[in-house]
Amino acid sequence: MKIGAPTETVKGESRVAMTPDSAVHLQKLGHECFIEGGAGKSAGFSDAAYEAVGVTIVSSRAELFSGVDIVVKVRPPDAKELRQFSQGQTLISFFYPAANESLMQKAAAAGVTTVAMDMVPRISRAQKMDALSSMANIAGYRAIIEAGNNFGRFFTGQVTAAGKVQPAKVLVIGAGVAGLAAIGTATSLGAITLAFDVRPEVAEQIESMGAEFVFLEFEEEQQDGASTGGYAAPSSPEFREKQLEKFRELAPEVDIVITTALIPNQDAPVLWTKDMVAAMQPGSVIVDLAAERGGNCELTEEDKKIVTDNDVTIIGYTDFPSRMATQASSLFATNIRHVIADLTPNKDGTIVHNMEDDVIRGATVTHAKEITFPPPPPKVSAIAAQPKAALARELSPAEKREQEAAAFRAQTFKQVALLASGAILVLAAGLVAPASFMQHFIVFVLSVFVGLQVIWNVAHSLHTPLMAVTNAISSIIILGALIQIGSSSVLISILAAAGVLMAAINIFGGFLVTRRMLAMFQKS
Amino acid sequence: MELGFTIAAYVVAAVLFVLALGGLSNQESAKRAIWYGIVGMLIAVLATMIGPGSGLWWVSLILIVIGAAIGHQLATRVQMTQMPELVAIMHSLVGLAAVFVGFNADIELGRVTAEFHAQGLPFPRPEDVTVEGAAFAKTFSGFAAILAKKTAVEVNILRIELVLGIWIGAVTFTGSVIAYGKLAGKVSSAAKQLPGGHILNAAAAIGSLAMAGLYLSGAEVWTLVLLTLLALFIGYHLIMRIGGADMPVVVSMLNSYSGWAAAAIGFSLGNDLLIVVGALVGSSGAILSYIMCRAMNRSFVSVILGGFGGTSGPQASIDGQQVAIDADGVAAALNDADNVVIVPGYGMAVAQAQQSVSELTRKLRNSGKDVRFAIHPVAGRLPGHMNVLLAEAKVPYDIVLEMDEINDDFPETDVVIVIGSNDIVNPAAQDDPNSPIAGMPVLEVWKAKQVFVSKRGQGAGYSGIENPLFFKENTRMFFGDAKESLDKLLPIIN
Repeated sequence: MKIGAPTETVKGESRVAMTPDSAVHLQKLGHECFIEGGAGKSAGFSDAAYEAVGVTIVSSRAELFSGVDIVVKVRPPDAKELRQFSQGQTLISFFYPAANESLMQKAAAAGVTTVAMDMVPRISRAQKMDALSSMANIAGYRAIIEAGNNFGRFFTGQVTAAGKVQPAKVLVIGAGVAGLAAIGTATSLGAITLAFDVRPEVAEQIESMGAEFVFLEFEEEQQDGASTGGYAAPSSPEFREKQLEKFRELAPEVDIVITTALIPNQDAPVLWTKDMVAAMQPGSVIVDLAAERGGNCELTEEDKKIVTDNDVTIIGYTDFPSRMATQASSLFATNIRHVIADLTPNKDGTIVHNMEDDVIRGATVTHAKEITFPPPPPKVSAIAAQPKAALARELSPAEKREQEAAAFRAQTFKQVALLASGAILVLAAGLVAPASFMQHFIVFVLSVFVGLQVIWNVAHSLHTPLMAVTNAISSIIILGALIQIGSSSVLISILAAAGVLMAAINIFGGFLVTRRMLAMFQKS
Repeated sequence: MELGFTIAAYVVAAVLFVLALGGLSNQESAKRAIWYGIVGMLIAVLATMIGPGSGLWWVSLILIVIGAAIGHQLATRVQMTQMPELVAIMHSLVGLAAVFVGFNADIELGRVTAEFHAQGLPFPRPEDVTVEGAAFAKTFSGFAAILAKKTAVEVNILRIELVLGIWIGAVTFTGSVIAYGKLAGKVSSAAKQLPGGHILNAAAAIGSLAMAGLYLSGAEVWTLVLLTLLALFIGYHLIMRIGGADMPVVVSMLNSYSGWAAAAIGFSLGNDLLIVVGALVGSSGAILSYIMCRAMNRSFVSVILGGFGGTSGPQASIDGQQVAIDADGVAAALNDADNVVIVPGYGMAVAQAQQSVSELTRKLRNSGKDVRFAIHPVAGRLPGHMNVLLAEAKVPYDIVLEMDEINDDFPETDVVIVIGSNDIVNPAAQDDPNSPIAGMPVLEVWKAKQVFVSKRGQGAGYSGIENPLFFKENTRMFFGDAKESLDKLLPIIN
């Protein structure tokens, strides 16, 4: 099959859907690759680079559209562009079918098979095709870089000869792919990073990236993120209030805020209100990655950078991936090439559009003159549902304290009972036994007690040396033999002498072998 | 004889012994702590020789020197794989010494009684002691001097303590000798018992009680001899019944007994240092036994009385087959892996493979892989046995981890190599409620991406329990002697 990539027509779009690298892989699958002259230029790929790997350069756009079977693109086509397609052709690009209903109908009418890169289902097998994630990753990284560009201080704290520098404090709202990428970038630049998400199960991921999870004390059955394909679901008004309260508290202390909160097919929730912006320190920066959907910050203006009266910069760019066109293109082109690889199961250059396949079915929005959107739910659930038991474990602090107190009481009771019964036994013994015995007895009991306390702390790995050394010191029985050896009875002397000899072997053998063993334990 | 000085020295020695044990909480402080123990022992022996044990100095000295020579030989010659044997045989010496000292105390008691009676004086000392009696008591020296002052109640208590000391000492002696024999392969390590089983033990125990009763009510020394013989039998028969894999519990139990024997003798001699040390050793052994039993999810009684705990049905049968692999396959997987966990067991000790394991570890670590060791508490035949072997082979101790530390990491592990262990990696302990080891905590190696099991051949291990791990899809069997297999592997690891 012939695969072609045209130049992107949207203004300011620098990405391209095919790179020399992805073309090599496509050719290995048995396809021929075409590219419109200069299409890769703004992404840093020259025509020569394409030619070098055997891609045919096509001079005009019309020629490209008429000559290939599959068109790969980044942005959705506009109506004009769509007219250039002919029946039986395949389009692979972002499409946003929910928002582009009429376009989808036109594509279906024209008999174009459309594979929407934004509709690839979120299952493990399809991760390599998940272009939304690769773009979000870039956006998260770039958001921090943009913020740094507009922020007048270091990210990392330093103590220099010229004085002490406080580290920047970054708050990331929404820990999806973009949020996590932002967290990773911010922490690696040395900033103190806080992160918030409505899905409590991502706390672990946030902490693994080195940020601190902003914990919200709120008792509500959280909706399981797994049921929405790993995306956040809208939260209740009470929860939202609680959340805003927390942000209000944080606003004066954070220097940089990155908001990435999106809910599928809805306007972005407003999470950073005017009064929060007003409460921020002058020089602070807000980067709103949800600007395209209205923005998480109340003051965000799409595609613009504004500076408020109190000198807070709010960045509402929507083209972060395009600002890193080389990186974005190579990731996007790789995603596309994986989709094509799935469409070419026999690696022989023939496309098999298998509508039984979960991934292909999910991503295809028009096929054989019909609209195939929305897809049925995938047969494989994206993320394993959170076991409900895990939720039950999360007790409120009060309950936890209650439980701990109960455990403590039970322990105290057990200990007191043991002590009491022990004391009664000792007292009973004291009633009949003479004082001379009891004197020794107290020594015995205390020694057992000390022994128990001390031995519990012995490292597991040192149990063998412990046995050898206790062996050596249990030869203290030599004292008994030494005391008796001087007896005037010959029999006693002989038995005692045997005792001394055996104990002496043990003392020396035990200590020496312990020393030998301990000397072997070495740190790396 | 300055008793005050002796007791002061004992106090110092006791403190040093406690520090010696406490220092074992980590590897570095342990190296210092051992000196505390040595100095404590030196002080105790010297103080006793100067003080209460002043007779026959030269004999004591000569014997100690001979003992030192033998002990030195033993300690320097022993292979680290033979540590369990050495520890066991040393326990037996303590047990026997306790028996001798106990008998001596009885003989001395008889002698003192005879001398009092020869003088026409009453013994044990009556409440209204006469001036002559008190004066005559002063003519005794050493241990006899302590005995001469005892009243009737005190003499009785002394006898109880004697009986206890001798009985425990005798059980420890034969028990340790048998344990030694089993560990050294001189006695078959399979669980064996005489016809009659527990009834024999019970009869011997009842017999011991009867003898003790007779002795306490004033019978002659033959009761004590008979009691000793019965105790020796119990020690022999008890340990004969216990199989090889339960040896960690047995050895720690004998360790504990040798301490209690010393403590009991300390009571009868009125020597506080003996009591202190005996109690320390006794409790140490008890804790070790407890830890070992917990690691096998079995009660102490069920281990000691032999046989596995009750099972309620047939074991789940295993489908599938074991898939063998050669050295090249293992090497390829190791070369690809980023993190590797090695699970050593008794089989590594038997094959003396620890040096090869260490060499493998060094090579893998040099090529930037994360290599760690997972040690089950009852791996080997002695608590901490594997740690000592790995330390001997110069494996750094900070990559040798306990079960609890590493069990959660298996799902992220690329390759697990199981060397000569079986039950401690058996998934049946978790999956099959009818398995004899159901509920025993095990290393969850099967959760790793790939598992290689180095094993001498097919067939179940010591306990005869089938191991479903060997049949899992991600498990490959690397048959052959552990050392030879690893040596074949070494040159092809890059």
